[in-house]
Order: sequence, then C-alpha cells, then structure tokens
Amino acid sequence: MLFRAERLLLQITLVFVCSVVSITTHAEKPVIEIEIRDHLFWPSEVRVPANTKVKLLVYNRDSTSEEFESYELNREKVIMGNRKAVIFIGPLLPGVYPFFGEFNPDTAQGTVIVE
Amino acid sequence: MWSDGAEMLLTSVVIVLREVLEASLLVSILSALSGVLGISRRWTGWALLFGLAGAVGYSFSVASISDWFDGVGQEVVSAMMQLLIFLLLLMFAFLATRAPGSRRLSEKLIVLVMAVMVAVAVTREGFEILVYMYAFSAELPRFMTTLAGSVMGACIGISIGVLIYYFVSALSPRLSLIVGLGLLALVAAGMLSQAVLLLIQADWLPSQLPLWDSSGWLSESSVTGQLLYALIGYEATPTALQASFYFGGLLLFLIVAVFAVRPREEVS
Repeated sequence: MLFRAERLLLQITLVFVCSVVSITTHAEKPVIEIEIRDHLFWPSEVRVPANTKVKLLVYNRDSTSEEFESYELNREKVIMGNRKAVIFIGPLLPGVYPFFGEFNPDTAQGTVIVE
Repeated sequence: MWSDGAEMLLTSVVIVLREVLEASLLVSILSALSGVLGISRRWTGWALLFGLAGAVGYSFSVASISDWFDGVGQEVVSAMMQLLIFLLLLMFAFLATRAPGSRRLSEKLIVLVMAVMVAVAVTREGFEILVYMYAFSAELPRFMTTLAGSVMGACIGISIGVLIYYFVSALSPRLSLIVGLGLLALVAAGMLSQAVLLLIQADWLPSQLPLWDSSGWLSESSVTGQLLYALIGYEATPTALQASFYFGGLLLFLIVAVFAVRPREEVS
C-alpha cells in the first residue's frame, strides 16, 4: 500500500519536474493566430505539433463578445468585441480537439489537430 | 427557425445555470450554516448587492484587465478571486467549528468572511452572465430569447440553492454543520483546482498531459457533467497538478475543520 502511494507520489513529482523543464527549455512557443468574424473561426482548423506548448492568439473582429471554449482542451476565455486574447494550450497528445464559441455554438466551431 | 430559437434558448439556460449554480450553492450553504450558528442572515442581501455591483464593474473593465500580464490578466484576476474564496472558506471552517466557545469574538469576523466570499463569487459568476447578455443586446429578437433562457437558467440555479438550503437547515444542528462543511469542502477544492487550471492556461503554472480521461464515462459537456463541475469541480481530463491541488485542498479544509472542533470537545 505504501509502495503504491510512494510510486504515485514519484510519478506526480516526475511529471511536475518534466513539465517545469519543458517549460524552461521551450521558451520560444509557436504562435497560432485565429480570427473570429461573423461568429465564425478563421481558420476553423489549426494544426499544432504534439507535446508542445502553443500560444493561441485569438482576434475577435466582431463587435460582440465571444467565449472561446473547449472541453477537450480544458480552456475557457471571454474575448470582448474588437479585442484579442492569449490562450496557451498543450503540450497535447496527437488527436483532434474541438473548440467552439460558447455564445454562438451553432456557427462558431473549430478544431485543433495535434500531430 | 423554431429549432434555432429553441437551441438558443437551451444554450442560454445551460450557460446561466452553470454560473448561477456555483454562487447559489455557496450562498445557500452559508446562509443555512448562519442559522445553525445563530447568526442573522441579513448579511446575504448586502453581499449579493456588492457582488452584483462588482460584476457590473468587472464586466466594464474586463477589456483592459484582459491586457494585463501580457494578455492573461483575465485568467490571473479570476484565479486570484478563486484563491481568495478558498482561503476565506478555510477561515470560515476554522471559525464556524470554534464558534460556540468564542462566539462573541468571532461572530463579526464570520459575517465578514461569508459576505466577502459571496460578493467575490457573485462578481465572478455575474460578470460572465452580464458579458453573455451584452453580446446579444444589439439584436432584439435574439436578446429576448437569451433573456428568457437566462431567467430560466437563473431560476433553476436559485431553486437548487433553495432546496440545498432547506435540506441543510432541516438537519440537527450538529449534522447540518457536518454536512454543510462537507459540501463547502468540495466547493473549496473545486475553487482551488479551477484556480490552478486558470494559471496553467495563463502559462504561470506548468502544463502537463492529463492524468486521466473520464470524458467517455462522463463528459464535461453533458448536463450531469456541468452540474458536477459546479458542485464538486468535476474535470474529465485533469492534470496531475490540478488533481493534487484538488485533493490537497480537500484534505486541508477537513483538517482545519476537525482540528478546530477538537479543543471544544476536550473542554466539554
């Protein structure tokens, strides 16, 4: 029982240390720009490298506010009209991660493809 | 056309319900515990009023706050508010369990702690609702649908709060203190884990691959997932850092509550 707990603790510490290291070594994060126009994301599909932290720059060109939201990416951020927002995502495993505009979920949809 | 409107209505019900539920839970448990501790519940009115004023102020200044700290001001301010609520909840647990012995001394402090907590929570949640409503204020038909949905969502959220209030109040004083503090422990842990998530999003804390993925079992986007998110801070794909802060926060809260109770039991 103790062995199990110790191993879990060790795993947590390792993950923690690895991510601290990966953060300090990858000071230059790739930047990806997305625009919101007429409640649509442009581009609606972005490709990012796996296991890398990426800086998303989302420009809201509409006059109304929008909320960038993704359950898969665990991200949520309000972007006021005619403003930009910075959202850091990753490191991520390869896969497809949908995101959407919470205020206009029927039109504002996009995906992050990690490869 | 009809289905469009119906979908919009449902979206706003869910968005507003989720925001209202978090604050309504906090208010209902704290007012129920006020009753148990023999404290007047008058503070709730003031706290809600200050919270609403805070929400209006925050929603007007969010555009400039967002630009703070290289564009992550919103995350940092929001995380600080949640950390503050977490710390105030710890203080409340300490004071509430000690209260019978030194009530006179700590009653004012308990009221202040509860009122600030509720005001901050309402500021945070109210802000999101206001921004959501502003987004549609230009188009009247859409605004009316959104307004109707928001009112429905708010009513459901408040009703759940009222149910919890009566449930906690109906128990025996000792049991309602235990159940109330137990629920608050979950709220506190959820606050801490959300604050960590926001600081990860802001790149102030290291990001990691998720520790587990329970989205196949219970999706965060489902109604149950959303309710559990508000009640216990449920996350389908938490990172190790988030999970350790969640369980660490839960443990810390329970330790504070239990240790604060002990001296009283020794005296009696």
